Amino acid sequence: MMDPSETNSFEEQWKKVFQEASETPPLSTWEGIEARLDKEERKVVPLWWQTPRLWYAAASVAALLMVGIGLWNGSFSSEEKKDAHLAAGKTELVSPDADINTSSESSVEGKTAQQKEAVEVPSIQPETSIAQVESERRRKNSAENPAIIKQDESLASADTEKQVEEDRAAVSSFNNKVAVRKQENNPVSAEAVAGNKDLTNTDKFAAAQSNNVSVEPLNPANLDAASRIVAEALTPIGYKDLDVYVQKRYVFFKPGTITEKPVEKVSKNREYYAAVGLMPATFNPDVKVTSPPAAFANANASRQSLSGNSQAGTSYAVQTQGGKRLSKHWSVETGMSYLQGNSTYEGGYLLDVATSRSQNVLQSALMDKSGQNSGVNTPTSSPPANAFYIDVTKEVRNDYRYLQVPVQAGYTLNPDKKLSYSVLGGMMANFFMNNEIESASGTVITTKASDDVYRSLNWAATTGLRFNYRLSSQWKATLTGSYQKSITSGFKSNETLESRPYLYGVSWGVRYSF
Amino acid sequence: MTFNEQELVIGCQQRNRVAQKQLYDVFGGKLFAICLRYTKNRTDAEDVLQDAFIKIYENIVTFRNDSPVEYWLRSIVVNTALNHLRQQKHLKQLDDIDGHENVLAGKELVLADFQWQQLMEFIKELPIGCQTIFNLYAIEGYQHNEIAQKLGISEGTSKSQYSRARTLLQEKLNKETRFDDGSVRNK
Repeated sequence: MMDPSETNSFEEQWKKVFQEASETPPLSTWEGIEARLDKEERKVVPLWWQTPRLWYAAASVAALLMVGIGLWNGSFSSEEKKDAHLAAGKTELVSPDADINTSSESSVEGKTAQQKEAVEVPSIQPETSIAQVESERRRKNSAENPAIIKQDESLASADTEKQVEEDRAAVSSFNNKVAVRKQENNPVSAEAVAGNKDLTNTDKFAAAQSNNVSVEPLNPANLDAASRIVAEALTPIGYKDLDVYVQKRYVFFKPGTITEKPVEKVSKNREYYAAVGLMPATFNPDVKVTSPPAAFANANASRQSLSGNSQAGTSYAVQTQGGKRLSKHWSVETGMSYLQGNSTYEGGYLLDVATSRSQNVLQSALMDKSGQNSGVNTPTSSPPANAFYIDVTKEVRNDYRYLQVPVQAGYTLNPDKKLSYSVLGGMMANFFMNNEIESASGTVITTKASDDVYRSLNWAATTGLRFNYRLSSQWKATLTGSYQKSITSGFKSNETLESRPYLYGVSWGVRYSF
Repeated sequence: MTFNEQELVIGCQQRNRVAQKQLYDVFGGKLFAICLRYTKNRTDAEDVLQDAFIKIYENIVTFRNDSPVEYWLRSIVVNTALNHLRQQKHLKQLDDIDGHENVLAGKELVLADFQWQQLMEFIKELPIGCQTIFNLYAIEGYQHNEIAQKLGISEGTSKSQYSRARTLLQEKLNKETRFDDGSVRNK
């Protein structure tokens, strides 16, 4: 290993050599730095500058300040007048100090004399007087050091120039304040300062400014500014009291944001859907005997035969639907349903005394129709010969089975909400499948579409109101209130019988959207 | 007339361009010499100096007067120079170098006869790793563990590189002689 003392010596020597090593960088380096500084100053535009709220706040503060200044001026105007008189008196007292200065520097003499004249100008403003008093007070305190006064004069003049040239004055302001503080700590004559070869460019600039303006006559306005700057500059300012303006930087950063997957819009403008449902309903075939059956006519019961009517029974329909959404609100749908329409028919019946066989009015009417159409599967094909009407109302079962194909348009309210409402309207094609009528004797008479008694296709109008409750993006639960009314008779011939079925139902179902 | 350090710092903290210029005028020469020591050519040194001063002006608001401002400025320049070297990938591969431990033992070194520019040329002629570590250890006064941390190398690598630098420098110094007229020429 190396000897520690020798090592130390080695490093110390190198360190010592380079401790004061210095080489002036080329001018282009500072130009580059300055260009970058300018660029950054332009670039750093605080975003809060564009915030309207800040402007409102600034306007409020400015308004308050204006009001405050107005009040302050109003309340102190009398005191200012008093100070003005006092200032005039004190100005007279300080003239010997000015004479002291004139002995050392002719330019200063001229200035001081002019300043005296300016002070005595009748149109002098109150603020000027206050500043002058302060200025003279400080001048008296530092009378033993004429250099300071001279420096003050120069500073005042420099500040006057500052009003003319803003940029240059900003530079001199900084230098002057610092220079004055240095003067106070280490009083040196201004001439010595001016003659210092080590002056930096800006110092020279400030000194040159002082010399240049010293020969210019001072007017009251300049004197006002000069006095104020003297008063300000002579006040010892500690370093810690200096305002440090720090550019507040707002750093905006974008944290690792979680990119949310856009929620798929539930209600697409184009969609297909399929639905299944079960509809409990009340079905009424509304069968009417329009003309007395022959048997009833023979039994002198024509009138009674017409008095029967249908009663709705508990029915149901099993529904399947398919639909397409045409727009946000409109949709069309179709489907296929199986309707089991149960009902009863209340009416009298005939009793054949010879055979003890009975025949209700509906059966009798159907027999008449079957005679016309031939093919109705009835137990008795001929009317009883010696029958008489039994005036006792008897209910017979009258059930229908239809295959339904609806075509409906729908208008949906609140389509994007969880609960939406659809108003439905359209036509229903009811394909007759069969009919079962309980005979008076208790047997069941079945009529099929092929018997040509009933129309195989019976059109009905339908309307309804549907509640759609969205279970998920694709599934909905539906509750539909429907009303269907046949617009054509259920029978092929209306001579003896007429039927216009109608139905009320409430359908429960689910719907799947594609 | 020059301002004291505190005044310059305050002016720079206020982003006063005059103060910034004066800070540059006062310290720019010394800092440029540091940049020259850490780089291989003047262009790089100027780039480093520019970057360093931009950093200085941006960060001087954080400077507290608990130490001389020159130390703070030097540290910023050194760090900027190291960053520059990293960007140039000069500090990628610094390996241990064996066999240079005792080369200088017993040899007397006198640098007083040399001008600093001449010595700086010697330093700049070193391999970049040796140059950097020599600067950091011998002149800036960092310890090897600190250097290892700064450069992301092992402490042993720092030591061996430094030892190698010393050897090479000694060899260069031995080749030089000083004449009576003060000039330094090759033997």
